[in-house]
Amino acid sequence: MLATMPSARRSSASFLAGIAATLVGFLLVPLLVANAPLEKTMGVVQKIFYFHVPCAWLLMLSTFVCAGGSLAYLFAGSERGDRLALCSAELGVLFGLCVMVTGPLWARAAWGVFWTWDVRLTSSLMLWLMLIAYRLARRYGGAGGRRLAAAMALFAAADVPLVYLSVNFWRGLHPNTKTVSSLAPGMRLPFFTSLLIFSALWGVLLALRMRVERAHSRLAELAIAVEDAEEESL
Amino acid sequence: MTYVALAYGFIWVAVFVYVALVGRRVARINAEIEDLRQRVKPGA
Repeated sequence: MLATMPSARRSSASFLAGIAATLVGFLLVPLLVANAPLEKTMGVVQKIFYFHVPCAWLLMLSTFVCAGGSLAYLFAGSERGDRLALCSAELGVLFGLCVMVTGPLWARAAWGVFWTWDVRLTSSLMLWLMLIAYRLARRYGGAGGRRLAAAMALFAAADVPLVYLSVNFWRGLHPNTKTVSSLAPGMRLPFFTSLLIFSALWGVLLALRMRVERAHSRLAELAIAVEDAEEESL
Repeated sequence: MTYVALAYGFIWVAVFVYVALVGRRVARINAEIEDLRQRVKPGA
């Protein structure tokens, strides 16, 4: 017990250092983006790209992690997998909301409209709604809600390739998947730094949320044990 | 520039609200722990 205390303290310290580094990075992203070269056609508004794409990547990553955790829960009964699925679905809803707000802001300036029923936009909206449905099933689905939500997570994961590849199959207004690989050299550093920092933020939020969920599960077990003990003593 | 600031500002607000909601959940868990502690106290 005593031997594990310093390592627990070290783990908490490194966790706090990770949070601090992520927050500093998150503050520094606008500086990098401000110094990135201007895109010729769209001008300043193209800089939304540096936030919009990382949020979209995190929406897809959250969905895959949610599906992975759900698979572990459905086929191996893993409670940890279930907790991971729940926490990553929440982050998917959060970053999906950011995609749904930053995208239309960019579209308004670039295309003249906030929204159009382009395949990429529509499939992304569907993906985000599926994660919201997952969360609602968990909250209001009753006894079978967890299994129902897990099955929905697998369905949502099947939508991710459609979201990503839709721009190559159906011609629409949204830029295709070659945009990132064809970035100008001056835009690569701010973009990949932003992507890295957003991903680190996602990791920190996931770790935080997992800790809370683990504490909640232990508390529920303790409450049951206390109730049993109280009934026995009566 | 307004749209860029709005986009980044919104992400900040969304993350802040999310962290605040998680914080509220932590406070609720702490209150439940305190409640349990009172129940298992000798003589309670």
